[in-house]
Amino acid sequence: MNTVNFVTIPSSIVPDQEIIVYGERRLNYAQFADTVARLSTVFKQQGLKPRDVIAALDTNSDLYIATYYAAAKAGLTFLPLNYRAKEAELEYMINTADAKVLLAGDRYLELVERISARLKLARILAFRTGKPSIPRLDDLIAAAEPDESEAEVEDEDTSILMYTSGTTSLPKGVMLSFRDFTAYVTANVEMADGTDRGAALVCVPFYHIAGTTAYMTNVWTGRRLVVMPQFEAKSWLTLVETERITHAFVVPTMMKQILDDPAFSKTNLSSLTNLAYGGAPMPIQVIRRAIEAFPQTVGFVNAYGQTETTSSLTVLGPDDHRITGSPEEREKKLKRLNSIGKPLPDVEIRVRDEDGKLLGHGEVGEIIIRTPRIMKGYAGRADDAALAEGWRATGDLGWVDDEGYVYFAGRKDDMIIRGGENIAPAEIEAVLMSHPAVDECAVIGVPSEEWGNTVKAFVVTRAGARITPEELTEFCRSRLASFKRPEQIEFIDALPKNPLGKILRKDLRAPSGA
Amino acid sequence: MANTLGKRYQCEKCGTEVLCNKAGQGEIECCDAQMKIKEAKPLPSSD
Repeated sequence: MNTVNFVTIPSSIVPDQEIIVYGERRLNYAQFADTVARLSTVFKQQGLKPRDVIAALDTNSDLYIATYYAAAKAGLTFLPLNYRAKEAELEYMINTADAKVLLAGDRYLELVERISARLKLARILAFRTGKPSIPRLDDLIAAAEPDESEAEVEDEDTSILMYTSGTTSLPKGVMLSFRDFTAYVTANVEMADGTDRGAALVCVPFYHIAGTTAYMTNVWTGRRLVVMPQFEAKSWLTLVETERITHAFVVPTMMKQILDDPAFSKTNLSSLTNLAYGGAPMPIQVIRRAIEAFPQTVGFVNAYGQTETTSSLTVLGPDDHRITGSPEEREKKLKRLNSIGKPLPDVEIRVRDEDGKLLGHGEVGEIIIRTPRIMKGYAGRADDAALAEGWRATGDLGWVDDEGYVYFAGRKDDMIIRGGENIAPAEIEAVLMSHPAVDECAVIGVPSEEWGNTVKAFVVTRAGARITPEELTEFCRSRLASFKRPEQIEFIDALPKNPLGKILRKDLRAPSGA
Repeated sequence: MANTLGKRYQCEKCGTEVLCNKAGQGEIECCDAQMKIKEAKPLPSSD
């Protein structure tokens, strides 16, 4: 079904229920649905037709969520852009998606104007204050009548085109359909019916699948959604206390910053019942600290999933995070904290070797999955991970224990995940290689308690060339998003290679313990 | 009440799913049989 129903149906049942909170703005379903309906009119006034692509570039807000639902109402495809992306990356995503209109936040307007000549866009609209040369959404909304209609969409139509870092240097556009989101949302939460379902705090960006599914499920089920523009530990703690937050999702890096914040011990966290984490492997020392430090009433959940599978595939639930029982049981539970849990009811998981043979308990191989909410494909390119009979290769290595718990053992293709952001080594290597002093290089992720992984580059310089790590870092600064820049650069005489000349990254990892 | 607000009903024969957004007295039928309620299985997560 059209996902705008996740707003319009609850708003017809419980119109006065408060559903979205953003700073001083507190909206009930009726107010939110009205904004969505007027925005749908605005999009049509801009000449947008069903299946056209509309892109959004901003931090999280109530209006951002409204633009998604308005796009759905008008039958458009929504493209949430990574606001940390660099100019070339934005240009690639906007142009390859063939976006017609770009909605840009204040802090991105200058950047967008700089590259606008290279964009194939028809229009740019400003999310908030804007500038004289760019029309403001708020003005257009105020002048528009609510759209009473709803576009008839096919279940297979792409609702969200979400770019994820690929193994090549270019991001891949994951096409998620109305069916994918409908399946995820209706399978996991009941529709709002006036029952008190608590309050959720969302601090992960809406261009990530975890941020998107957070607003979809909470708006549908009637759990007041408190939106943070961006994560910041002290504000997160304050909001949990003042908004009596019951549900939240963080990436491991955020969890550590919350625990490290001086305000942690002074914050009343008694309302919090569900604290989920995911997006990157959780360092065991951080989750153990969290279990000790948060009130006993908090149920921790480790969620593992992918953009390509419309979010979560497995979860390790609250019971598995309660380290109680006999010494043997406690030992077992502590080991199990390394697990990503068990498959959700609509997910099947197997582990296979490189020849495709299925492996037994305890054997490490590639995790393959089957679920009704696998993406319909990548935009403009084949999905080489699709397998027979609806199965899909995740590109993740892992194993399953004899009780059915799944364990993650790294990316098959060496993807680096820093603070929940996917970083393809190939992209960074391409930048380093463009420096005249660099002969060869290889990039790996090294473990970091703060970020999960950080980027380390091994560089072989050209004979006679002289360069310092600082100069190379500076070279990367203007060419890569800040989180992708190598934090360590080590000069070596030669890269370890196999007889075919392929770089042996595992040998590079060994000395640093990665 | 014969059907319930917010519930999904599934036809065991053809797989059709129906979502009830206003409840009433009627029975929901498909393929000559009463449709069965399909419960959501809540994730213990933030969702």
